[in-house]
Amino acid sequence: MRKQAAIIGMILCLGGGLAIGWFIPSLFPTPTRVAVIDTIQSRGTFIVGTSADYPPFEDFYTNNDTYYGFDVDIADLIAAEMGVTVVWVDMDFDSLIGACTAGSIDMIAAAMTYNEVRAEKLAASTTYVTVAQAVIVKNSSSMAITALDNLTIAANQLIGVQAGTVMQADLEALGMVAGVNFTTYPRADALMLALDGGAIEAAYVDEPIYEAFKTTYEIKVIFSTDPEPLALWTRYSEPELLYVMNKVILEGYQDGTIQDLIITWFG
Amino acid sequence: MSELPDLPSIFFYILVTGLPTTLILTVLALGFGFLLGMVLAIMRVYGERELAWIGSAYEKLMRGIPVLVLIFIFAYGIPEIFWYLDSLYRQVASIILALSLRSAAYQSQIFRGAILSVNPGQMLAARAIGMKQIQAFRHIVLPQAIRLAVPAWTNEYSVVIKDTSFAYSFGVIELTKAAYRVSVNFPILWAPTMLIAAILYFLVTYPVTRIFGKKQNKRLKELGIGGK
Repeated sequence: MRKQAAIIGMILCLGGGLAIGWFIPSLFPTPTRVAVIDTIQSRGTFIVGTSADYPPFEDFYTNNDTYYGFDVDIADLIAAEMGVTVVWVDMDFDSLIGACTAGSIDMIAAAMTYNEVRAEKLAASTTYVTVAQAVIVKNSSSMAITALDNLTIAANQLIGVQAGTVMQADLEALGMVAGVNFTTYPRADALMLALDGGAIEAAYVDEPIYEAFKTTYEIKVIFSTDPEPLALWTRYSEPELLYVMNKVILEGYQDGTIQDLIITWFG
Repeated sequence: MSELPDLPSIFFYILVTGLPTTLILTVLALGFGFLLGMVLAIMRVYGERELAWIGSAYEKLMRGIPVLVLIFIFAYGIPEIFWYLDSLYRQVASIILALSLRSAAYQSQIFRGAILSVNPGQMLAARAIGMKQIQAFRHIVLPQAIRLAVPAWTNEYSVVIKDTSFAYSFGVIELTKAAYRVSVNFPILWAPTMLIAAILYFLVTYPVTRIFGKKQNKRLKELGIGGK
């Protein structure tokens, strides 16, 4: 009897807890809207989220504790326009969208390609650079393809991509399965090591990655896609910030600043 | 890129940039967990039946949820609970909250066991000489229970300090993230860098469990507190 009562009590507590949890958001009064750009200017810092493990777009030097890369310079331009300094939040690429939606970061600058799924959750800036994807092989390889879906007939497990990227999504859209038809690697340099060591025959990467590694390894491009646009991201509720972001990008192209940065970082 | 750093300099880099954050997260999570866990334990031992049920339900619930899921709930699910904090600190606060809530469930088990293992005859004796229940608890049971709880509690410390590495994916530069950053800069040093991180975790975990675990057990035996 007591045991039964205890079980019922626990279930009630669980149910009650869930009900309270459900209503927690509505218990807090919706605050009057403060544009994030005002918050940025009053606190003097611009919080930008990135995943600093992707040179030449963004990386972190442990030698002198600084962030560097193309996206870093772009974010600095935007911060300079608002007269503030950038505070970087370095997190997982997968967590960035969640953090921006939740309001922990003001903007994402992480070489994030524009696509519809992302645009449903966050507001994209205008394109600040376009990047093509390329299929690369070793110089000695005789592999040749004319379209991306030629990859589906290549031998199993012999293609590598970086995990969580649009390249992986592309292969999955062709009906290929990670771990069965291709291998994923967490980082670009691990991918390049695998390609060089013969674990994979071809790698599908962003073209700047090829540019960055072509001096180290004997590799060549056998196929490249049309360039895809990269965007900076913020919340839809912050049109003022989005306006500043777009303004900086467009003016940067007008006066040549961004072209100079592209030459600096992508050669 | 620049030339490879030597292993001692990687060690000190991780030690200086990562370890303090890891320790602060651990101390805060254990501290809040201690307060809530103690309340829950008292609820379960001395509380009315309904209070005991609530305590026990909380424990069962929290022990069944992974910490990472809890962090996601607080950080991205209901970030409004930290509306008073600057947005930069909301994710850190979510991590501390999630770790404390989970730790509280385990700590309440530890303290409940400790309180129960103090011979109930002592409570009766204290009541017989005219102490109120709360006085008897405060002066007779609690001092012994806390001492008894120490060995098991160090185990909880060693769990929480390792769970702080979940903060890695939420933009907190703690020990794992510092090691990750070094590895990203020098991919050829992945293995040694992660080994150094492992050694650092071990260095802050083992001595504590050793000193407060085994030595405390010995002292407890000498003092004759608790069961056989």
